[in-house]
Amino acid sequence: MKLSGWLFIIFSWGIILALIIFCFIKVFTKKELK
Amino acid sequence: MAQLKKRDSWGSRLGIIMAVAGSAIGLGNFLRFPAKAASNGGGAFMIPYFISLLLLGIPLMWVEWTLGRYGGGFEHGTAPGIFHSLWKKNRFIKYFGVIGIFGPLVILIYYTYIESWTLAYSFFALTGKYAVLTEQASMQSFLRGFQGIENNQFFNGIGIAYSFFLITFITNICVIYYGIKGGIEKLCKIAMPILFIFGLFLVIRVMTLGTPDPARPSWNILNGFGFLWNADFSALLSAKVWLEAAGQIFFTLSVGIGVILTYASYLSKGDDVVLSGLTAAGTNEFAEIILGSSIIIPAAFVFFGPESMQSIAKSGVFNLGFVTMPLVLNKLPLAALFGFMWFFLLFLAGITSSVSLAQPAVAFLEDEFDISRKKAVGILAVVVFVLCQPAIFFLKNGVVDELDFWGGTFFLVLFATIEVILFAWIFGMEKAWDEIHKGADMTVPKIYKFIIKYITPLFLFFILGMWFWQEWLPIIFMKNVPAGDKSFVLATRAGLIIIFVILGILVKIAWRKKRLNQEKIR
Repeated sequence: MKLSGWLFIIFSWGIILALIIFCFIKVFTKKELK
Repeated sequence: MAQLKKRDSWGSRLGIIMAVAGSAIGLGNFLRFPAKAASNGGGAFMIPYFISLLLLGIPLMWVEWTLGRYGGGFEHGTAPGIFHSLWKKNRFIKYFGVIGIFGPLVILIYYTYIESWTLAYSFFALTGKYAVLTEQASMQSFLRGFQGIENNQFFNGIGIAYSFFLITFITNICVIYYGIKGGIEKLCKIAMPILFIFGLFLVIRVMTLGTPDPARPSWNILNGFGFLWNADFSALLSAKVWLEAAGQIFFTLSVGIGVILTYASYLSKGDDVVLSGLTAAGTNEFAEIILGSSIIIPAAFVFFGPESMQSIAKSGVFNLGFVTMPLVLNKLPLAALFGFMWFFLLFLAGITSSVSLAQPAVAFLEDEFDISRKKAVGILAVVVFVLCQPAIFFLKNGVVDELDFWGGTFFLVLFATIEVILFAWIFGMEKAWDEIHKGADMTVPKIYKFIIKYITPLFLFFILGMWFWQEWLPIIFMKNVPAGDKSFVLATRAGLIIIFVILGILVKIAWRKKRLNQEKIR
C-alpha cells in the first residue's frame, strides 16, 4: 500500500470513528424519548 | 366526539437510531461502495464522497427527520399528509407526496426477493451446497440456476428460490404486524448488533489473510487494501467520479425514499432529531467505510490478484456478492462458517431495510384511512405478494432492473428535491431552522442554514440534470434492452403507472373523507 492509501484510510476511518464515538457518547448521556 | 386513535411510537432513542441505521445499511454498503471506490480513484474517491456527505447526505437526513417529526404532530406518517401540513394552501402538493409511498413500495417488490437470496445462500454455505465450486463460471451458473434463469446440474427450476422468498416474505410481514415498538424496533435492536459483530469478525479474518500464496508475494492483504485506498488523484478531474460519489452518498443514507419521514413521524414534538439523525448517518458510514471497505475487495485481491481485480470491481453488485465472495470464502478454513456469516450479515442488512420499506404504506393506511394496523398489514401483504410475482418470474427479462430504475433511482432523487424545496423555500428557512432545533441535543452549525437553502437543492438539481442527460435517457428509451424484453419492460412501466394512479386516487379519497368528517363535526 502506498503512502496515499495509508493517509486516506487513516483520514476516512478516523473521521467516521470520531463521529460515531462523539454521537453515541452524547446519545447515551442525553435525554431519552418523551 | 370521535375518539382519536393513539399512534404507535418508539420505545427508546437507541431503537429509532438503530431502525434508521438499519434501513440505510443494506447490500450497497458492503458491495456497491467498495466497488465504486476501487474503480473511481481509490482513496481519492473519498474527497468527493465526504463533500457529498456534508453538502447532500447529512442536510437531507436532517430535513427528513424534521419533516417526519413535524408531520407526526398532525397525525401524518407519510409524505402526502406531511407535505399538506407544510403547504396547506396548495391542494395539489399532497399528490407529490404519493412518491413517498410509491417509491418504497416499488423497491419492496424486488428487494424482498433479493433479500431472500442472501438467506438461501447462508443456508447453502452451512450445508456446503456450493463448497466444491472453485471457478467464476461454475459459481455464476449456480446463481443462474438458483434464480431460475437456467436449469442446470445445481438447480432444476425456481422452487428453492421461491421457498426462501416465502420464508423471507412471511418473516417481514410478521415483524411489521407487531408494530413499531414490538416489531421493527425489537428486530433492529437484535439484528444490528449481530450485523456489526459478524462484520467485525469478517474484517478481522480478511485482515489476517497475510499472503495466502507464497509463490505470489505481491498478492498480499496490504496490497489488497492498497488496491482500494491508494489514491489516483487524476480521477478527481472526471465529472463521472464526482457524480458516482454523490450517488453513493445519496443511496447509502436511504434519503429520498420516504422511510425516514415515516420513522421520524413516530417521535414526539420535543424529541431530538439533530443528534439522532447524525448518529444514524454515522452508524451507516461506519458500516460502509470501515466494514464495507475491508471485506470483499481486499479479500478478492489476495486470491485473484491485481490483473483480475479491475473486472471484478466492475462486475456488478450481484456478481461481487454471490459469485466472487463465495469463491473467496471457499478458499478459507472454516469456509462454511465464514460463508454463513457473510450471507447472514447481508440478510440482516436486507431485512432491517425491507421492513422500513413496508412501513410507509402501512402508516398511510393507518393514518389516512383510520384502519387498524393488523388490517393495514393484511392489505399490504396481499398487494405486495401479488406484485412480487413478476419480479420473481421475469427476473431475466429485466423487470427487476426496471423497478429499480423507477422506484430505487429516478423517483428518489426527484422526491428529495421536492422535499428540500418545500422545507427550505415553502415552509421557510427561519421556521425550518426552529423546527430542526426543537428539543435538539446539539446545535446544527449555522452554515447549514445556507447549505440547506441553496447548496443542497442546487446539488440535487445538478445531479438530477446530469443523470437525466447522461444515464437516464437511454434507459427511458430502452436503448440497451434486448428486443425480446421490451414488452416486459413496457408492461412493468404500465404496472407502475397503475400503482401510482391508484395511490393518487387513495389520497383523494382519504382527503375527501376527512373533509366530510370535519363538515359533519361543524
